[in-house]
Amino acid sequence: MKKILVVDDEESIRFLYKEELEEEGFIVELAQNGKEALDKLSYFKPDLITLDIKMPVMDGIEALKRIREMERHLPVVLCSAYGEYKQDLTTWASDAYIVKCADLTELKMTIRRLLGIL
Amino acid sequence: MDTSSAYNLLTSLMDLSTSSLPLENRLNQILQSISDYFHSDRCLLMKPDQLKANGFLTRLAQEGNPLWGEGEMGLNEGQILPEEKELLLPGFALLPLLGETSFFGFLYLGFLKSREFSSEEKDLLLLIAKELGRILQSEHYKKEAQRNLSELTALQEIGRAVTSTLNLENLYEQILTTGSKILKARGGVLRIEEKATGELKIKFSLGGYDQNPLDEKIAKRVFFTRTPLLLNHFGEEKASILCAPLLSGRECYGTLTFYNKETTPSTFDQRDSQLLVTMAHQTACSIENALTHHETSSLAQEFEKRAKQFSTLWELNKALLTTVNFERILHLMLTAITLGDGLGFNRAMLFMLNEKEHTLDGTMAVGPDTPEEAGQIWNALSQKKQPLSGLMAQLSNSSPNPSQLNSLVKGIRIPLEQEQCILSRTVLEGRFFNIQFPRYEEGWIQTGCGGPCQLSSEIGCSMGAQLGRNPKAYSFSTVPLWGKGKVIGVIVVDNLYNQNPITEEDLQFLSMFSNQAGLAIENAILYRNLEELHQKLKEMQSHLIHHEKMSALGELSSTIAHEIRNPLVSIGGFARRLYQCVPDEAPEKRYTQIIMTEVSRVEKILGDLLNYTRDEPLTLREVELKDILEETLSMISHKFSDGNIEVIKQYSEDLPRIRGDYHQLKHAFFNLIDNSYQAMRGEGTLSLRLYPLEQDGSSFIRVELEDTGKGIDPENLHNIFNPFYTTKDSNLGLGLPIFHKIITSHQGQIEVDNRPGEGVTFIITFPALEASHEKDISRR
Repeated sequence: MKKILVVDDEESIRFLYKEELEEEGFIVELAQNGKEALDKLSYFKPDLITLDIKMPVMDGIEALKRIREMERHLPVVLCSAYGEYKQDLTTWASDAYIVKCADLTELKMTIRRLLGIL
Repeated sequence: MDTSSAYNLLTSLMDLSTSSLPLENRLNQILQSISDYFHSDRCLLMKPDQLKANGFLTRLAQEGNPLWGEGEMGLNEGQILPEEKELLLPGFALLPLLGETSFFGFLYLGFLKSREFSSEEKDLLLLIAKELGRILQSEHYKKEAQRNLSELTALQEIGRAVTSTLNLENLYEQILTTGSKILKARGGVLRIEEKATGELKIKFSLGGYDQNPLDEKIAKRVFFTRTPLLLNHFGEEKASILCAPLLSGRECYGTLTFYNKETTPSTFDQRDSQLLVTMAHQTACSIENALTHHETSSLAQEFEKRAKQFSTLWELNKALLTTVNFERILHLMLTAITLGDGLGFNRAMLFMLNEKEHTLDGTMAVGPDTPEEAGQIWNALSQKKQPLSGLMAQLSNSSPNPSQLNSLVKGIRIPLEQEQCILSRTVLEGRFFNIQFPRYEEGWIQTGCGGPCQLSSEIGCSMGAQLGRNPKAYSFSTVPLWGKGKVIGVIVVDNLYNQNPITEEDLQFLSMFSNQAGLAIENAILYRNLEELHQKLKEMQSHLIHHEKMSALGELSSTIAHEIRNPLVSIGGFARRLYQCVPDEAPEKRYTQIIMTEVSRVEKILGDLLNYTRDEPLTLREVELKDILEETLSMISHKFSDGNIEVIKQYSEDLPRIRGDYHQLKHAFFNLIDNSYQAMRGEGTLSLRLYPLEQDGSSFIRVELEDTGKGIDPENLHNIFNPFYTTKDSNLGLGLPIFHKIITSHQGQIEVDNRPGEGVTFIITFPALEASHEKDISRR
């Protein structure tokens, strides 16, 4: 069973992602911001992280930098309401960039692709 | 010797000397008395003019001594002229008659027999000679006085004559009639130099002497040498001539010649000559006066005319200043040229210089179309008698009338390259032309430029004949219209209807006026340009406002969109979860589906909005439009297959590439095809054509997308690319504005062929990459 760490400051979104991804058969852990995500990284040891960008305490960009320092090859999917960073951030450090959307099909497919489950 | 008879002789001599009898009678009687007294065989009084030069009498006259012929005289035979020999009778006395100032001749007493003169006789004869000298002297004085008096009277008469009039023609006549009366001449000729040509022209003549072949030659000689000439001929066949230059100060005005004295012999003497010189001088002064007067009055006339011209110019300029409207200024100008109180031409036509095309374009014309119309206009004007300013003011409020002439001229375009054409030459040489065409074809000047110019039939260009029309050969003039330092057009004027000749002066006035009008036109053009610029500025300003609106919208929408997106994810996401939980037959299934669809719609709107307002930089590279279209179609094809939509694709071979942003173009075409899909409501045919295009030497590639939807409401057509435009029954959305924005940022052109009720074809044309690029690319 693959483990996914969902990082988002909005509780309803965390809840939705958890429900949907667990239904897909993933073990899901949640974090409210970048800092909490970094804390949970060491003991949860996720196979993939979905990371929101705009968050209090520590934003997704900062968190992504820190994660890359610790786990070079851990797949990170940036999930943001902001579409305009898509091109920059996919090439820079994340493995995928998804503009948040009610239809999670794209997210699920991306996660599967990155985890090699097809 | 008888002393008493000698006394008697002297007494009778004294009596005769003071007698009132004519001189000739008195002298005859005196000679008779002397002859009687001395019993002489011959008794003569020889006048000085009877003496022959070189004769001994002349010598004797110079010596002033008497000669007593008493026997052998010892006179040298060679010194005696043959006609003098008969005086040398055996006895004679020759006594010079001397007055106070001059020599009056000899008293001669001849005797057939030799005799000696006693001393008493000699004394008596000397006394008689002295008395005779005195008589002749006093007679001479008397004649002199009479002559002086008559000359003075004559000069006075001339003086009165020449000052009596300033009219030159009258003056000439007076001078000649008075002069010939004074000089007792049978006729005369007065010549005055024409300043312009330098020729001597006969101003007045008496007695037909101007027909004399010598007359002109003599006059010329006298004029150029400025010396009077006296030429006496004895006899009837040739005339005596007296000619003097008309000198006043340094100026020589002409010559005054008189012919044939009425006396016998018909000769003039030095006194006549002097008198003529005086007369000529007097005459010259009078002529000078008259000429000065003439000049002054013609100058005054000129000034008056100029003043009138200036006031006309002023009125016209004032009218021209009332407007900056280009058309109106042209109309005012041409009307001013044709107004009787203005410049008074019959018709005026304007050709403006088209610098871009290098042509003269007929712009406007004013003038009656027919002689009848011209007559009516002139009648109406002469009845109204309005001042110029009033007429002009009236004009500036009326609109140009659509005359035939106006439309004829508007249709004319003359290439400047046709240097034969007078109009072209007016521009190229920058001067006016006054073309005086004879009324008949033989005399025409060949101005035909060879081009099919409609002017040929109107303006006497020989082209008219070649075109087989019946041209009215007539006079016209052209004047360049000057703007700031350059010719901006040509004004053509004519007097077609009244056939008044056009003078240089008319043209100078027209030039003056057209210079002013040129400035007004130049100003109007500048004003028009200014207005255009102002309009552009206004457009740019509104564009800027639009742009500002857009960026404000961009900022606002980006903030709002992001804030809305998160809750939408939750709403939509949970709606999906609910949808899965709810059994198919439950009504909640539909409710949740509606929530899902609406959330998707809101998400799409947000996406479009962010895309439209964001100025994403283009990532340009060489792209194949065909690939982009194919990929776009594959993205949307599931929608087509859901409904009943057929897709027909026609791609030409060897399509050129374009330079563009692959993703943005894909986005643009996605929006366009999606729009067509929406329009067809799930049923119809979508045709996609792609082909290369050559235009004006450049290569393009064209995309045509044709749908069979309902078409666009013509009312909305011009708003389909407006992001804020919407109607109640159609929400156009941002799809087409985004499409438009992306295509135009790629220098693409969009045309819309709208067929309401049938469908729409969007035609998009991109500049193609050049062939060399293609090769480069294919090599790589």
